[in-house]
Amino acid sequence: MSGKSFFVDLTKCTACRGCQIACKQWNKLPAEETRNHGSHQNPMDVSAITYKTVHMKEVADDKGFMAAWLFFPEQCRHCTEPPCKMTADAYDDKAIYQDEATGAIIFTEKTKDLPDFDEIREACPYNIPRQNAETKVMTKCTMCLDRVQNGLKPACVQSCPTGTMNFGDRDEMLALAEKRLAEVQKKYPDAVLGDAESTRVIYLYQADPKSYHPYSVADATMPGLMNRKAMFAKLFGSKSRSKA
Amino acid sequence: MTNHWIDFKNSDCILIMGSNAAENHPICWKWVTRAQEAGGTVIHVDPRYTRTSSKSDLYVPLRSGSDIGVLGGMIKYIVDNDLIQKEYVLHYTNASFIVSKDFSFSDGLFSGFDEAGRKYDKKSWDFEMDENGVPKRDMTLQDPRCVYQILKKHYDRYDIKKVSAISGSPEDKLLAFYKAYTATGKPDKSGTILYAMGWTQHTVGVQNIRAMSIIQLLLGNMGVAGGGVNALRGESNVQGSTDQALLFHIIPGYLATPRANWPTLEEYLKANTPVSKDPKSVNWWQNRPKYVASLLKSFYKEADLPTAYNWMPKLDAGQNASWLVLFDKMLKGQFKGFFAWGMNPAASGADSNKTREALSKLDWMVNVNIFDNETGSFWKGPGMDPKKIKTEVFFLPCCVSVEKEGSISNSGRWMQWRYAGPKPMGDTKPDGDIIYELALKIRELYKKDKGAFPDPILGLNVDDWGDGHVFDPHKVAKLINGYFLKDTTIKGADGKETVYKAGSQLPSFVMLQADGSTCSGNWIYAGSYTDKGNMAARRDKTQTPEQEKVGLFPNWTWSWPVNRRVIYNRAGVDLQGKPWAPNKPVLAWDAANKKWLIDVVDGGGDAGAKHPFIMQKHGMGAIYGPGLNDGPLPEYYEPLECPVTEHPFSKTLNNPTALIFADEAHKRTTCDPRFPFVCTTYRVTEHWQTGVLTRWLPWLTEAQPQMFCEMSEELAELKGIKNGEKVILENPRGQLWAIAIVTKRFKPFEVMGNPVHVVGIPWHYGWVWPKDGGDAANLLTPAVGDPNTGIPETKAFMVNVKKA
Amino acid sequence: MKLGRREFVKLTAAATAVTAFGGLGFDLAPTKAHAQLMSLRKGKETTSVCCYCSVGCGLIVTTDEKTGRAINIEGDPDHPISEGALCAKGAATFQLAENPQRITKPRYRAAGSDKWEEKSWDWMLNEIAKRVKKVRDASFTEKNAKGEIVNRTEGLASVGSAAMDNEECWIYQAFLRSLGLTYIEHQARI
Repeated sequence: MSGKSFFVDLTKCTACRGCQIACKQWNKLPAEETRNHGSHQNPMDVSAITYKTVHMKEVADDKGFMAAWLFFPEQCRHCTEPPCKMTADAYDDKAIYQDEATGAIIFTEKTKDLPDFDEIREACPYNIPRQNAETKVMTKCTMCLDRVQNGLKPACVQSCPTGTMNFGDRDEMLALAEKRLAEVQKKYPDAVLGDAESTRVIYLYQADPKSYHPYSVADATMPGLMNRKAMFAKLFGSKSRSKA
Repeated sequence: MTNHWIDFKNSDCILIMGSNAAENHPICWKWVTRAQEAGGTVIHVDPRYTRTSSKSDLYVPLRSGSDIGVLGGMIKYIVDNDLIQKEYVLHYTNASFIVSKDFSFSDGLFSGFDEAGRKYDKKSWDFEMDENGVPKRDMTLQDPRCVYQILKKHYDRYDIKKVSAISGSPEDKLLAFYKAYTATGKPDKSGTILYAMGWTQHTVGVQNIRAMSIIQLLLGNMGVAGGGVNALRGESNVQGSTDQALLFHIIPGYLATPRANWPTLEEYLKANTPVSKDPKSVNWWQNRPKYVASLLKSFYKEADLPTAYNWMPKLDAGQNASWLVLFDKMLKGQFKGFFAWGMNPAASGADSNKTREALSKLDWMVNVNIFDNETGSFWKGPGMDPKKIKTEVFFLPCCVSVEKEGSISNSGRWMQWRYAGPKPMGDTKPDGDIIYELALKIRELYKKDKGAFPDPILGLNVDDWGDGHVFDPHKVAKLINGYFLKDTTIKGADGKETVYKAGSQLPSFVMLQADGSTCSGNWIYAGSYTDKGNMAARRDKTQTPEQEKVGLFPNWTWSWPVNRRVIYNRAGVDLQGKPWAPNKPVLAWDAANKKWLIDVVDGGGDAGAKHPFIMQKHGMGAIYGPGLNDGPLPEYYEPLECPVTEHPFSKTLNNPTALIFADEAHKRTTCDPRFPFVCTTYRVTEHWQTGVLTRWLPWLTEAQPQMFCEMSEELAELKGIKNGEKVILENPRGQLWAIAIVTKRFKPFEVMGNPVHVVGIPWHYGWVWPKDGGDAANLLTPAVGDPNTGIPETKAFMVNVKKA
Repeated sequence: MKLGRREFVKLTAAATAVTAFGGLGFDLAPTKAHAQLMSLRKGKETTSVCCYCSVGCGLIVTTDEKTGRAINIEGDPDHPISEGALCAKGAATFQLAENPQRITKPRYRAAGSDKWEEKSWDWMLNEIAKRVKKVRDASFTEKNAKGEIVNRTEGLASVGSAAMDNEECWIYQAFLRSLGLTYIEHQARI
């Protein structure tokens, strides 16, 4: 069974951040104490209490005028072959769980007993895992597995007004992603899908994925990566599907 | 809104100007996106590149306050290139009407200006009437005194060079904008305008909207799917609260407030009931006597009509009791007692320091709210010494919306019923209960010890408000709808007589009577709660295929008036009743069965039998509008505080009729080198209004924690300001700190050859909470207003910005 | 109330989820979402409409019948305008209702005082009623300077509120006008 996937059409995202708050609401996650850093974005990164945050990047043309304002709702990609789990399995194969039906990657409470959080975090090509400082339990997006198993969409998907966030059977999402890519390329010739084969959160980027976020797509050449991550990236080939 | 939210999907061109729809009405972007997916174009015109601009097909920058220049330029473009929808303009607008010989316009002033009084005598703006008392028309549109020719001459001055020079909008962008939008002048195409406070909060606020209304009429965009003039509005029930007339100048249902110069009901009706001699003009307001009589009976059921009218409080002739005047009078000591009910004026009113000082002149204030706020706690705010402030404050905690039952009306006029989920927390109560209990207590006092003129208090129909202890929203909703007070026989259009029993609910406003035999708290809501039940609670998504095509949802909740989903829909069909846009009709005439299909028709009668703009006395869309206080056509004026000493259209710099307070001239600045930057105010997605209902929510303050000031990289460099640093904004009215957001999304404007910097601040913050969140943007805004509405000019004023 | 044709899926399969993980001998982390789902099954569902902007998006409010408090508030997928979507503000409605910083008791600040005092509703409403009567009786004007009948109260003013329901707005304006107020304004003017 091919499980579930998200398709995230970034060409439609307005950064209303309904998804960011809906995630907090469903998961009853507390707020972080934040400061304005000279941007509309906050929190600036995912954390033990923020599974999803919307990044905002201003892109200028050669005359200094706005060419695009790129929005990137960041979350766990629920990899089809999750390096976090591969890493954790060496210590306890029940700490990180891959749900058979959906493919969701779940950090269980047993992650608190894994010896090295940094190893898990660095295994992730998307820099997603975080750890609760007190309980030592590792955290990230759960795909709202509880909702999905009950026929509901993940909270972030339900809250999305524009059709940016989509969720469904993997085949359907892949087909939708391909269809939208073809449509979008008329307006944005550089549009690409990010890591569609290897993850269950397929982003459609209108421009170079790296202009959205440094960890938008897996990158074999990024300096300072652990071997495991580099291997992972090689395993899944190119960073993104090039245009047809 | 003339149309409704879902209808945006039907548009060929969506113009967003005076609004940041994607950020401030985020869910409407669902329907904007659908329009784009269907091939529609989205244009955003705004001083700042926003989340809305990022998803638009074209972004046109303009300096805040220069909208009439840009729109006037489009009117000229339409006329010069003959892009009007001719049949529509001829038959459905007043373009062909002949204006009085005495009308003139010269150098920014219309005829009849009284300089000392800062107002117009509007007599010379009238239409010329024929021997039957119907406006004279020239269907060739060639008469130099016809509206079309006057319009043409008026906007001939608005050439693109001048428009670009004053607005700072690049010429090529303006042309692209004009070209894309005016393409909707084709009969089967529609364009819509989404605006909000970016247009209203100016001393030319009403004329901004008028200018766009003219464009919509010229292009035939009123009454059609994907068209209309759509005020997005900022609060969940600001449409409803306006309908219910929590405003000085109207009583429920858009009826004029009684005034001293209309001492009796008869005189009131004479002055307020228009008469048309044109048999094709529906002149809907001729029904006003029925609506007023039914309203008076809803207030005072047992009183006869003359008595009930006598009991209504009256303004003096011409008296303005609007917001800014209210707080000016408060500052001067007129009021002893004050209710700030579900409002935070200490942060929401222009010139917060003035407002906050005014609160200290009161003997007592009642503040009803969910959370602590800058108004209830003003006495311990910045610069206040509680010991010296005599104002007693009664803070009454109300419950939140999901804890109570009742209806709210959205911008698309959908009256939607809500249910109570959780019980009111702690000792909080629904506002309805608080009002009801207080009203009963005051009645008791007047029963016991008569006091001044107790009749209206004792005569008030509180029986329809609850059970004697607890407020009942259903009872009140039924009263607002209205019911028969006596057994009444009504003859229908088909000649059949129907008897309605006393106590039965009114099926629609058509049954309202002028003799006191019906009551209705608000005629436009008649039909919302009938003997068939609570229409606002309906959740039936059934539609005919035609209704589905345009997303009408006529069985979901209820829309005023008479469940009509697109008002002025009669203008959406030609004189034969055929839709202008056959691929997306809102209305169509079925000639065989002699009936209207799809939506509820505006006005009634066969196709072509009635003029479409039924609320206008002459039945025509008003390209020329002789009723406003600042002129029958929009004219360019600078904001009252502006960065220029002249503009290219006339020698009249500012709106000569703007609402100002003469003793505050020292607080206003124009071209003062100490305050060189234009400042504008706005909202963010994550907060709402003054922030009272969002600043206390940790998830929202997490996302937008602090007051900020957005500015261009060029200005930041000029002032040595780095991104993320604290800055101070100041002007003669106040001072405010903010975190600098240095961004490419603001760019300096080139205005009349000089660079003009615009900065922007959100207005959601206040000193009470969160700590280190900042204070109200209104500390800087001027207490000056539009001459028609009195809405303050908080979108364009002058400040200085410096490093903190 | 009727939920009509709402397609919101009933949460009947929750037990299956628990068994699935329970059988593997570990719990989901964090466990809160899971626990919440269990209680969601027992909650009472009501529909509402978002209290923030004026789009009028549909909400589904789930209330714990034991505590009487909200346990989940999310978009109503059947609502034709919002189709289940909510923006940042709408999605945060839960925190508006379930917020420890809400003021839950009436409070009074005396003239010259630097603090609030908690009071009963009865005391508050009686004191306000007395003051309203006093100001009204002292400032009631039957005729203006020109001798025209005006029957108004000069010493009282009100602002508010677009945050109230239609029915509340209606009785509020009738209440104020019966007292003779003419200075009646609210958010629509700003």
